[in-house]
Amino acid sequence: MKRAKSVPSGIVSASLDTRSQAQAKETGLPSVKEGRLRTYEPGDNVQRFLDLLGRRITRSLAVSMTACVHCGLCAESCHYFLARPDDPTMTPVWKADQIRKIFKKHIDWTGRVAPWWVNAASLRDDEDLNRLKNIVFGSCSACRRCTYNCPMGVDTGLLVRFTRGLLTELGIVPEGVFNVSRDQWETGNQMAVTEQDYLETLEWMRDEVRTELGTASVDIPVDKPDCEVLYTINPREIKFDPRSIAHAAKVFHAAGESWTLPKWGWDQTNFGLFSGDDKLGAYIARNVYEAAERLRAKRIVISECGHGYRSTRWEGYNWADYDQKLPTESVVVTLKRYLKEGRIAVDPARNPEAVTFHDSCNIARSGDLVEEPREVLRRVCPDFREMFPNRSENFCCTGGGGLLSMAEYRPLRLEVARIKADQLRATGAKLVCTMCHNCVDGLNDVIKHYKLPMRVVQVLELVSKALVVPGRDETKKTAR
Amino acid sequence: MSNLLKFVENEVQLAALVFLAVVYAARLIWIFRFRSRKERTFAAGSGAVGAGYSLMNVAMPWAMESTRKRPGFYAQFVVFHLGVVAAIAATFIIPYAPEIFRIRAVTLAFQSLLAAAFFAGLLRLVRRLTNPVLRLVSSADDYLSLTLMILFFGAGVLAVPNDYRRAEWPLILFFGLTAFFLVYVPFSKICHYLYYPFSRYYLGRSMGHRGAFPQGRKSRPPVAGPVKENRA
Repeated sequence: MKRAKSVPSGIVSASLDTRSQAQAKETGLPSVKEGRLRTYEPGDNVQRFLDLLGRRITRSLAVSMTACVHCGLCAESCHYFLARPDDPTMTPVWKADQIRKIFKKHIDWTGRVAPWWVNAASLRDDEDLNRLKNIVFGSCSACRRCTYNCPMGVDTGLLVRFTRGLLTELGIVPEGVFNVSRDQWETGNQMAVTEQDYLETLEWMRDEVRTELGTASVDIPVDKPDCEVLYTINPREIKFDPRSIAHAAKVFHAAGESWTLPKWGWDQTNFGLFSGDDKLGAYIARNVYEAAERLRAKRIVISECGHGYRSTRWEGYNWADYDQKLPTESVVVTLKRYLKEGRIAVDPARNPEAVTFHDSCNIARSGDLVEEPREVLRRVCPDFREMFPNRSENFCCTGGGGLLSMAEYRPLRLEVARIKADQLRATGAKLVCTMCHNCVDGLNDVIKHYKLPMRVVQVLELVSKALVVPGRDETKKTAR
Repeated sequence: MSNLLKFVENEVQLAALVFLAVVYAARLIWIFRFRSRKERTFAAGSGAVGAGYSLMNVAMPWAMESTRKRPGFYAQFVVFHLGVVAAIAATFIIPYAPEIFRIRAVTLAFQSLLAAAFFAGLLRLVRRLTNPVLRLVSSADDYLSLTLMILFFGAGVLAVPNDYRRAEWPLILFFGLTAFFLVYVPFSKICHYLYYPFSRYYLGRSMGHRGAFPQGRKSRPPVAGPVKENRA
């Protein structure tokens, strides 16, 4: 691969940190010993990379490799380039070209015969692989905004994920990516939440909701068979935001829903999406599907998480070669159904502040939900304001693609977050609502860094706040 | 008409066309040798509708922010590619239906279109040479392909009147370039039109299946219970 030409480049030059990998090998972690989680081994990594490239490439990826005409229309769709307009290495076309030139050199015709003619080039050593790592992990959140803006239909987001997957197989990954993958392989959830922590947190939240509603009939059931809904969550909810589970419990109780969480297979998030590791993706998604099957649930409901929704609803079945058997939906769709069927009643006056909505990339561009959250928000917030652009044209929260776990790229991430900050500021809203836990953290970073006078909330929180609970609210009214 | 011009208009073109067809066939076989993944999820939309929408994207400048915000660039794109169609049509009309170009209005229309495409090509070349992003990513093939197209349009403007009695060289130049294109295209970026249906089809099918394409749809009615959804 050619070294960078003399152009200003914001690509972070972070060296490969293998301390966690060495520790994992030393302690003999099963996932490492069994070869599910790959670690870096000095040697002929370039050849291994090329072998993997040839073996793994699919038809849709191959046409994305060949179809680019270098028109440059993708450039201004990318928040990295918009924030750094003088740096051509921030454009999707340049980033994608770093893998495309390897494809051309080793797989495509013209590049094999006359590489200089079509800018085809190979990799020389592990340093080149590390540089590729810094490009695909560090300067792209795989938000797919460029994909939607490419006249040729080149899926640069998919090319970036594919390249990440090849590097993950060689252990050439940011340390944070290795650590989260390790936790998810070892514990079945990406934050290494123990079963005890999980169950105790659920009990704690159950007690909180019982106190709030003044009834012992509320429950947060675990491993209850034959329920209508199997509810799956993000480990962040156990670790940092257990109130979101309480909000869900409140709503399910008010709707009279028959629901349960599984004891195993409750993590709907999936780091395989970010690392490009289809094996990890398949393992985690299968845990969820098998939990639903084991408990004979009739529907899988996914709590508010962008990449979790994309992974569990869309990608996971394909990664796991598992034919979908049950409806699998976001909890926002469930909320919409409850409202439509009159199973829950809401009082929007309880959410008087101005609210705007941030579309998660994984839901609006790689999924199918853009109007559903808006329909729910319009029912529970009297002052709902769109941000612009929105829906499938929205900008990434800048924490997508697993970037929140990669500390080495944080300064660049926050620098390019200026685009998101401007977008948020222009709404004048006090609350920015999102249906993604990852976006909650990403947006919180943006708000803090750019000192924006707003707070992040989620759809469930606003619905829970507006929820009119029969008995409790009527009693309060009488007391007043 | 000289023997050289006859030869260039007929035998050379046919040989080059056969070569193009053979290489394209090989290209298609090459593409189909890459494996395709089976879709295992319930559909939220239609893969076929999504693919159709995606393929028609070329005619919907409003569908993408990148073209919506640059109407001038989109107009250039349209003129340039209509010029390509006109030039290709001319390569068949001149030898096989020359009477068409005896109609003055038709000749003028073709010449105007080719001239407009010529200028659109020049604008594109200037953009490629001056835009730092494009300079960084452009290959020798990108420059040559565009330059050849500009020359092709220019030669087309001169060749379309088909006035070989006055001078044969514009026709020899036009058909010589055509033959070169037919041989060169499968190995250059110009064959992007061969990939276009594939790349847009796969993106559209995937997004259509998920209900993300066509964009701007209304939300679906909520599903009341376990139902058998459409399978892609």
